[in-house]
Amino acid sequence: MTDEVQVPTASRSVAEAGSRDDVGIVQAHDFIYPRPFTFKSGQTLPGFTMRYETYGVLNATRDNVIVICHALSGDHHCAGWHSAADRKPGWWNNLIGPGKAVDTRRFFVVCANVLGGCQGSTGPSSPNPATGEPYGVRFPFVTIRDMVHAQKLLLDHLGVAEVYAVIGGSMGGMLAMLFVIEFPGFVRRQMVMASTSRESAQAIAFNEVGRQAIMQDPAWNQGVYPRDGGPRVGLAVARMMAHITYLSDVGMDRKFGRRKRESAGSDAYILDAQFEVESYLRHQGQSFVTRFDANSYLYITRALDQFDLAHAYGSLEQAFAPVHAESLIVGFTSDWLFPPEQNREIALALLRAGKRATYAELATDLGHDSFLLESEELYALVRAFLERGEPYVFDFAI
Amino acid sequence: MSSTLPSEPGAAAHGATPRGLVAKGPIAKRTIDMQVIGEWVEPNARVLDLGCGRGELLDYLVQTKQVSAVGVDLDFTRITASVRRGLSAYQGDMTDFMRSFPDRHFDRVICSRTAQELNDPSDVILEALRVGRALTVGFVNHGFWKNRFDGLFRGRKPRNAVYTTPWHESRPANPLTIADFEDFCRARQIRIARRVHLLGDWRTRCPAFPNLLAGYAVYDLMKD
Repeated sequence: MTDEVQVPTASRSVAEAGSRDDVGIVQAHDFIYPRPFTFKSGQTLPGFTMRYETYGVLNATRDNVIVICHALSGDHHCAGWHSAADRKPGWWNNLIGPGKAVDTRRFFVVCANVLGGCQGSTGPSSPNPATGEPYGVRFPFVTIRDMVHAQKLLLDHLGVAEVYAVIGGSMGGMLAMLFVIEFPGFVRRQMVMASTSRESAQAIAFNEVGRQAIMQDPAWNQGVYPRDGGPRVGLAVARMMAHITYLSDVGMDRKFGRRKRESAGSDAYILDAQFEVESYLRHQGQSFVTRFDANSYLYITRALDQFDLAHAYGSLEQAFAPVHAESLIVGFTSDWLFPPEQNREIALALLRAGKRATYAELATDLGHDSFLLESEELYALVRAFLERGEPYVFDFAI
Repeated sequence: MSSTLPSEPGAAAHGATPRGLVAKGPIAKRTIDMQVIGEWVEPNARVLDLGCGRGELLDYLVQTKQVSAVGVDLDFTRITASVRRGLSAYQGDMTDFMRSFPDRHFDRVICSRTAQELNDPSDVILEALRVGRALTVGFVNHGFWKNRFDGLFRGRKPRNAVYTTPWHESRPANPLTIADFEDFCRARQIRIARRVHLLGDWRTRCPAFPNLLAGYAVYDLMKD
């Protein structure tokens, strides 16, 4: 393990990068797990690298840890800035920081790029040590459970005694649920937002269109392509379509309406992008291909589709039977990808299993991505969940 | 279906008497039924509160009876307040919530001060008696003489310590009297295990003619 266990003090030195309540300039670390790792599929890796960031300070009892789990296209960089020149902070910077809802003055926040990802953790784009070439589609099939077990190895490496809370939205919520199921004595709270215990046929269908866009692109070449090449068109189209599923009809209309690009001119009879929403999606697609690997996209969407707690454990109640953690499940009214009903069902199953669980629903028009919303109401809920008193000590699993 | 209270009267009083009722001194009317309801709750019971508001009652029951508590309410900020108290709470429709639980999942269901705001009271009460072994219903008696007086002589919608708002600031209500409620229980073969009628001060037990003299009623129901 080359990575020193660093327990950094929150860097305030570069306040100019962001506002004063940011975690400031942060740095990613690599955890290198040197032993073989066996996937649920039975396939193995000789070892893996996991890229992660931490904010705040691990306390003496090593139990003030909040684990943040990212979504499909997210990464380990969830707060702060990598350099003063960064245009954007980490993806959940509005939630995480000193004095924020996830208060880094109190908590030690850990966020890792998932196994199978492409932002520094071992995945299909990583070189296979046996050949020196990228794994491509020879990478083991990865599941949400594999991602969680790999992250547990990181937490063990960091010397974490107990996780105060695991928090995730969308796919991150799936990871959170598996954390409290697979390691019940290790995690005290879970907060799951805009997630599901299993995707609907519609969600699987959207993922399949994305995968087909990639795999039908000749440049995919059965998953064998150079690092800077590959199915750029297919991946961009996959992203454009997926991005629509993260928004809502009302939200898109409010943001773009039927506004046309300034350069569109008066000629309506051209096929090039005329509407702002078109150029927005093209931009989303183009910027995605510069940071995401197409094979990782195939693997992670497949992991999402395979995730089915009721099927894996017999029923949702049985899945949650071992849970000790308190749960907060949050749905968003305009989320049609993982809609409120699917989030309610998680909370109801937890309650039926005799667990402590809350369901809250926020009225928004931003669709699935609402969990990233800058909302004082949402922050108040997160604070209430994280900062409330110690759990009562009686056994709820009657 | 409304599972919330029309306003938050007495909220300040709750703030003034944290952990509520153990404290001596002036007690707001709103806390009175908490005492009555609390007496009926078995220690360590699994309790569901329909229309839990900010979770005051459940918090009190957790503190005094070590119950395992779940509250249902429609409002996000009230759910947040319940979460802050360490409670389990569910934001949504109370009937839909109950439908997703098996028979007798809860030891006791509580429907306090919400009875007059239910859209379909018999549906809610029968469903509560299915998922709960017992049901506590507490309601303002609109047959109370002062409420009759409001209507008959003042020509006004009844106002009282819980329903403080004038017509134009109130939610749709479906007021009921003690006589209405007992008729309903008889018709549906619901057994009334215990009843408490309180006078207009919501403190003194009502000696006679409850439908006329009681301001507040609490019933402990079972379905055999």
